[in-house]
Amino acid sequence: MFILDDLLIRPFVGIVDTLHTMALSEMYDIEALEAELKENQLLYELGERSEEEYRQRKDELEEEIEIARDVHERLASGRVEVKR
Amino acid sequence: MTHRYVYGVMNDDPVEFETDAVGDADRVYTVSHRRLNAVVSDIDTTDPEETDEDAQRHDDVLREIMDRDGGRTIVPMQFGMAFENDRALKNVLRGARPAFRRAINDIEGREELGLKIVREEDAEVDTDALEEAIADELESIAAQSVPNDLFSDRLVLNRSYLVDRDERERFDEAVSVLEDEYDDLMFRYTGPFAPYSFVDVRIGAQQ
Repeated sequence: MFILDDLLIRPFVGIVDTLHTMALSEMYDIEALEAELKENQLLYELGERSEEEYRQRKDELEEEIEIARDVHERLASGRVEVKR
Repeated sequence: MTHRYVYGVMNDDPVEFETDAVGDADRVYTVSHRRLNAVVSDIDTTDPEETDEDAQRHDDVLREIMDRDGGRTIVPMQFGMAFENDRALKNVLRGARPAFRRAINDIEGREELGLKIVREEDAEVDTDALEEAIADELESIAAQSVPNDLFSDRLVLNRSYLVDRDERERFDEAVSVLEDEYDDLMFRYTGPFAPYSFVDVRIGAQQ
């Protein structure tokens, strides 16, 4: 229903734009990244990951989450430019 | 530092002590409205950012209060609740009074414990059977329990338990027996925590 609703509300938005938006939300999946952050912590606590590995992965994931939040914010405000 | 950062709410006697508090404050005290005491520290924003350090301080303050006088009861708030001033906070205490009373009643004399069970990579586990076996041992001792998100495919169980302080030893023992029994699985038994998972008082929207 997402596509249909979106097109009804904003009829001037092309289907390509909408699909592009959906693809972006999937690529920047905040929930999946947050789950991985928790998994990283758990594996460190269980001693499966060294402190160095843990810290490095944590930094990477936190950065990715920040980027993902930024992308979602832009998507919500319609400020993502779609180039074709 | 003119705003109030809230850790939790209790109906025991007021507290005041020096500690490393959220947002670099150094004193924790209570703001009261008719025997409901909000545990607070001063802060310079109403929208605090959740850093690892401040999240830890939030937990430490709650623990410190739970450990006082042989165990006090506090309804914990999630990280990040800050109010413009005392008046705004007291308004919330007044408005949410019945909810706080109920929550205090639910968690009085109890603490939260967490159990995560993790399988080895590529190991096959009958999760239903395991869940049942764990429930058989632990649910009768705990006052309540709730399932948590299985955020990793290595996790085969993730639950929070609300346990009477008096039953704590029995619960610890039951967990340790299970741990011996399932020695091919990894147990991560944590706590005690303030009972976040067993109170549902949301006050953020009313500030």
